[in-house]
Order: sequence, then structure tokens, then C-alpha cells
Amino acid sequence: MLSRTADHLYWMSRYMERAENITRFVEVANRLSLSVPSTRDRAACWQPVLTIAGGEDDFAARHGERSAVSVIEYAVLDPTNPSSIYSSLRAARENAHAVRSVIPVETWESLNGTWLEARGLDGPRLREQGLIAFCEWVRERSHQFRGITYGTMLRDEADYFIRLGTFLERADNTARLLGVRATGVAPGQTDVDADDQLHWAAVLRSVSAFRAFRTVHGGDITPLRAVDLLVMRAALPRSLHSCLNQVRDILERLNPQAECTRLAGAAHAHIHYGRLDHLLSRGLGPFIDDFIDANNTLAGQIHKDFLLS
Amino acid sequence: MAFDEMKSADGGVRPAFRAYEDWLLSMPPDLLPRKNEQADALFRRLGITFAVYGDQEGTERLIPFDPIPRILAAREWKRLSDGCCQRVRALNAFLKDLYHDQEIINAGVIPAERVFGNGLYRPEMNGLSVARDVYIHIAGIDVVRTGEDEFFVLEDNLRSPSGVSYMLENRAMMMRLFPDLFTRYSVAAVDSYPDQLLRNLRAVAPAACTGEPTVVVMTPGYYNSAYFEHAFLAEQMGVELVEGRDLFVEDGLVYMRTTQGPKRVDVIYRRIDDDFLDPAAFNPHSSLGVRGLLEAYRSGGVTLANAIGTGVADDKATYIHVPDMVRFYLGEEPILSNVPTWRLEREDERKYVLERLPELVVKEVQGAGGYGMLVGPTSTKAEIEDFRARILANPANYIAQPTLSLSTVPTLVDKGIAPRHVDLRPYVLMGETATLVPGGLTRVALREGSLVVNSSQGGGTKDTWVLENDPC
Repeated sequence: MLSRTADHLYWMSRYMERAENITRFVEVANRLSLSVPSTRDRAACWQPVLTIAGGEDDFAARHGERSAVSVIEYAVLDPTNPSSIYSSLRAARENAHAVRSVIPVETWESLNGTWLEARGLDGPRLREQGLIAFCEWVRERSHQFRGITYGTMLRDEADYFIRLGTFLERADNTARLLGVRATGVAPGQTDVDADDQLHWAAVLRSVSAFRAFRTVHGGDITPLRAVDLLVMRAALPRSLHSCLNQVRDILERLNPQAECTRLAGAAHAHIHYGRLDHLLSRGLGPFIDDFIDANNTLAGQIHKDFLLS
Repeated sequence: MAFDEMKSADGGVRPAFRAYEDWLLSMPPDLLPRKNEQADALFRRLGITFAVYGDQEGTERLIPFDPIPRILAAREWKRLSDGCCQRVRALNAFLKDLYHDQEIINAGVIPAERVFGNGLYRPEMNGLSVARDVYIHIAGIDVVRTGEDEFFVLEDNLRSPSGVSYMLENRAMMMRLFPDLFTRYSVAAVDSYPDQLLRNLRAVAPAACTGEPTVVVMTPGYYNSAYFEHAFLAEQMGVELVEGRDLFVEDGLVYMRTTQGPKRVDVIYRRIDDDFLDPAAFNPHSSLGVRGLLEAYRSGGVTLANAIGTGVADDKATYIHVPDMVRFYLGEEPILSNVPTWRLEREDERKYVLERLPELVVKEVQGAGGYGMLVGPTSTKAEIEDFRARILANPANYIAQPTLSLSTVPTLVDKGIAPRHVDLRPYVLMGETATLVPGGLTRVALREGSLVVNSSQGGGTKDTWVLENDPC
């Protein structure tokens, strides 16, 4: 396969996954801001959306005041914010456009249709439709994108690069979500305050893992248990462990000798054979920072090994 | 009165359209507008669009699709088909001759200055042998009709003619919208085009290719107006769609950059002009091409389709000589006629034309896309005078033709169904022989009275049906 084609496929799915995950961040913020007592700073609940998706400085320069409305406009609709849902859907579609001879017709139609619909959206229309309904729609489109790929594509290189993009982006996004409230999460911690509980329940819901949490852990939501689920549990599709399983398997199939495959294997082993209390020995924050760095290094190496040639 | 392909002068319906009329009369009156809206939404979702040059927004537009088919009888098609193939065989023979022995010039049939002074003549091709002597792998022959049996060739497109994807997609759309119509008619299928194209391209692999030939489609990129078609053809043939930056030349061979390292490329169906192919040989500012491609081509490392330098044969000044080429190379009489053409470099012809500008069509010799032309009868006095000045400044750059009364076909317009002027572009493929699938791209001038069918100038397209059996 052409390196350029692989590059477009990889970014097509990365951007679609990113669009989906931004909706998840937005939903956490929305739920929290409506749950905290109205006497508190509800706008503060929206800060993590900017922290996770990047663009804090850009946002501050342009909007100054942080409010639900300004953050939503910036993270959802702003065409000049490269990480907005709008920009992600556009980029997914642009990349698909460049490889439309390679992907299933339905994949192209789906991404093109999603983009055409998103393009017609503005602030008033979004309010009319409802933020949550919009977020659900984006996720449905993302599910459809993956479903078509899974259901129709030949399992060859094209499929591998599409999935590689999905899982690298997802690993990054899950890690960022975990990092929002990293302070105070440490091995052995038992005391949990109400805010923590509220926060981690919202995080679990946002990655559709609330029920999974009940099934795996039962009982009360504690930060440590939530982190255990989202980092260590390979059975949860959005956990770091699960993402690395996929990334490693795909790279093994693409080229077992490549440097990126070695990096992916090492990152995978770190979690697969690790223990949560060891991984968190310096706290959740440093662990997340290291993970995101390693993930970026891996993505860079994949570019060197396959996409630039 | 223009010749209408559905209705004869006495108001009767011609045989090929009779079943269509019966069907249409049995349908609710709002059926066509509704189906047309569906088609629009589907084309948009499929992204069958073209980019408009000069549009700052980079907008992608749909080429308007008309839901009423143009129906050609089998016997009409037979003649068109034979005529187009004959023409392309002669043109291909001309290119081979021109770049080798130049017998046609030595015989005095075509003046030397006409070809050697032509900007599209490529001296780099002299003495070069191309695989199977095929220069024109793909040709689009623009044909117009003025009467029952009057067909004229308006233009030969021998560089990289576009539009074949619309022929295929329009048919798919018609089958989707009107399945019941296809049970009333036996319409010849066009789907084999990509297979035939791939077969031909594989058959012209260069001598340096020893194993299974690798074919690619080369596009200027996804901002090109015809990108959809490039992607479509690559997908239909199951070959890679490459850009110049995906290719490189090493030791006289061409490779593409893949995830598994370099891979040899044997045949390039290029949808990019000669000028941009190789910055080392042609336009040095081209970022679309591949450095060293010309040398690789010349040394037999790769086949380009179409060959370099075919433009000299589809020039409007060369066009005049195509009937002579048919006689000279094939020893046959041309089946399809040229439109009578005046060359404005000749004083007597120029005088004649300048006296009759309001009646005539004047075209730039190397113009395309409906740009750089004057349609006398629909132009203002000021436009005509402006053109007169341009002609006088550089007469050799222009030819003139009578304003042909192009045939009309019923077309869906705002006020219902009305006749609109059409042309036809069938696609001839050259491999071991010249072939063409039964059909082509019918372009329709949607504005009332307009004779300009180009999509860049407000033209639309129709599905073109060739009947397998003529109704009695």
C-alpha cells in the first residue's frame, strides 16, 4: 500500500475517534456542571474539556471568560480550533476523500454525510437540537464508521492502518480523561469524598463504562477502582490495556521487525505485566504524563517506519 | 428548427422513444422532479462532485444530472461506433508516423509547419517506440448531431479526456431511480469499461516489465476538478491511485513508496498534462510530477497512457486534416464527417469569416472547456467586436465553424419538460484494437437556446442509452 494512503487512512480514523472522544469530554463536563451545587463555580467544570483537547492558551486569548457557552462553541463548532468536533469531522472527511478509492463506498458515504450535516450546524441550531443529542449523534456516526469498517473491509493493510489510528487516538484520549483529576489518586487510598465520587462516576459514564464498573468491581465507585478499570482491564474496550493489546497485535502483523513494533511491545508489557500500585507509585499524574509521552513517541515511530518511507 | 431526437417535425414520437413516452404518460406528473431531487441527494452523498476552478471557496459542485435518458437506436450507434474507432485508429497511426518517418508530411498531405510549429508537438518523442505502437490509449470523441443521419465530429480529445465516470455513475443512478424503465427497454450495458481499460493498460506494459504488470492511476491530487473520476477509475480497476510525490525514478525504473518499501510501477494511466509530468524535462516548477520520469519512459522502463505528445493531434488546427489521415493511413473513406472549418490564418477564409461573425462559432486553436470561444448568434455586438480585435491580433490562433443547430433531447427544466441541445462523448479505448463501450457521456445545455454544453458553463449530463435491438 502507498505510504501516503496508509497515512490518510490512519488519520481518517484518528480524527473520527477524536471527534467521538471530544463528545465524551463534553458530556462529562455537562453532567458535572449540572450536578455541582449552583453556589459553586459551575463554569470550572468546563475547564477539563480545554485541558484534554488542548488549545487552552488559544481559547484564553480569544474568549477570555470561560463559560459553558464559550467552551462549547470552541470545542464543538469552532472551525479555527483544530481540535474541535467540527474540525475533526472535517479532517476525517478530507482524509477519506484522499483515499476514497481504497475504502468501502459506505465508509466514504458515511464520513461525507456526517461532514455535510455537521457543516450546516451553528450555535442556534446546536441549542435547538440540544448539546447531548448532538453528542449522541456524533457517537452514532463514529460507531457507524467503525461498524462499516468491521463489517465490510478486507482484513489487510488498509484495515490495519485504520484500526491503528483508532486505538492510538483512543489510548491518548482515555489517558487524558484519566489525567483530569489526577491529584489524590495513589495506591492504598481509601478515603473518598463526594466530589471524587461524582467526578469518577461521570468519567465512567462518559466512556460508557458505568455498567462495566458495576460488573467488574461491584460496590462503591472509588478513584482507584475506576482507574483500575480504565487502565488495567483488557476486557474494557476503552482501557489503556485494551488499546495497547490492539496496537501491538496490529503492528506485529504489519511488521514484526519494525522499531515501532518493539516500542509498542514494550509499552504493552509495561501494563500487561505491571501492577497498578507499582504503576501509580509516583501518583496518577506522572503515570499519565509518561503514558501520553510514550504514546506520542510510538506514533512518531509509526510515521517513520510506515508512513513517510 | 433543431432536430429533436424524441419528436419528429410532424409531432410524432420517434421509435426509440416510444416506449419511454408510454411509460412517462402512465406516471404521476411530479415523478420526474421528485426523482431528480433524490438523485441530487444521492450524488451529493456519494461525493460525485467536481471542484470549480477560480472559486476561492474551493467549493465542490454537482454536475446537474437530468433524469430523462437520451436514447440512441442500435443502427445509429453502429455508425457512430465504427466512425469513432476508425478515427482513433487513424489518429494513432498519425502520431506514430509523426514521431517516426513523417510520411504524411513528406507526401504533402499535412503542411510541416502545422505540426512542428505546434506547442503540443514533443520533439522528445521522435524515434521513440511505444509499447504496441499505442499512443492514444483513451480517447474522447465529441460528436454532435444535426439531423436524422447527420453526425459530425466536433473535437478529438486525445490527452486525458474526462467524464467517463459520469457515464458509469449516471447509468447506476438511472437503474436505481427507474428500475421499471429498464424492464421495458433492452439497454446495452456499459459496466465493462473499467475491465476493458485495465486489460488494455496491462497489455501495454514496457519491455522492462517481466512479471505481472503493475498499473497505477496518477492524479494531480484531490483538489483537481476531476479527482472524483481518478479515484473512481482506480477503485474500479483495483489499482493504486498515486500522486507525483508517491513515485520516484531510480536506474530508469519507476517505483512507488509503499508501507513495505519501494514497489515497481510498469504502466501509469496519468491524468496530468505533459507539462507537469517531469520537472526535469518540462515545466520546472511542477510539483505534481516525478523527476526523471521522461528518461524512464524514453528508456522503456515505464509506459505512460496516453503517450507524451498526443496533444499535437487533437489541436483544432490539426483537426482539419483528420479525414485526410483516415484516407492516407487506412485507405478508407471517413465514416463520420468533420464540421466545415475555416482557418483564420488564410486571408481569404479570414475575410469570409470576419464578414459573418454574428453567424459563426470562433474557437481558439488550443482552447478547451468552452472557454476562449465566440458563439456569434448568442453574443452581443460588443463581444463580437472584442473577438474581432483578438482575431486580427493573432489570426493563426483561431478557427471558425458554422453555428451548428445541435440536436435537442427532452430535458427536465423548471417549467416541466422542454427540448435542450446536447452533444455526445463516446470513449474509445486502444489496445490491440480500438473498442468502445456502447454509450458515452451526453452533455446537455440546460439554458434555453444555449449551445454550450460544458459543465464549467452551466451544462448538465444525461444517461446515454444504446438500444440492443431497434424497435420496429
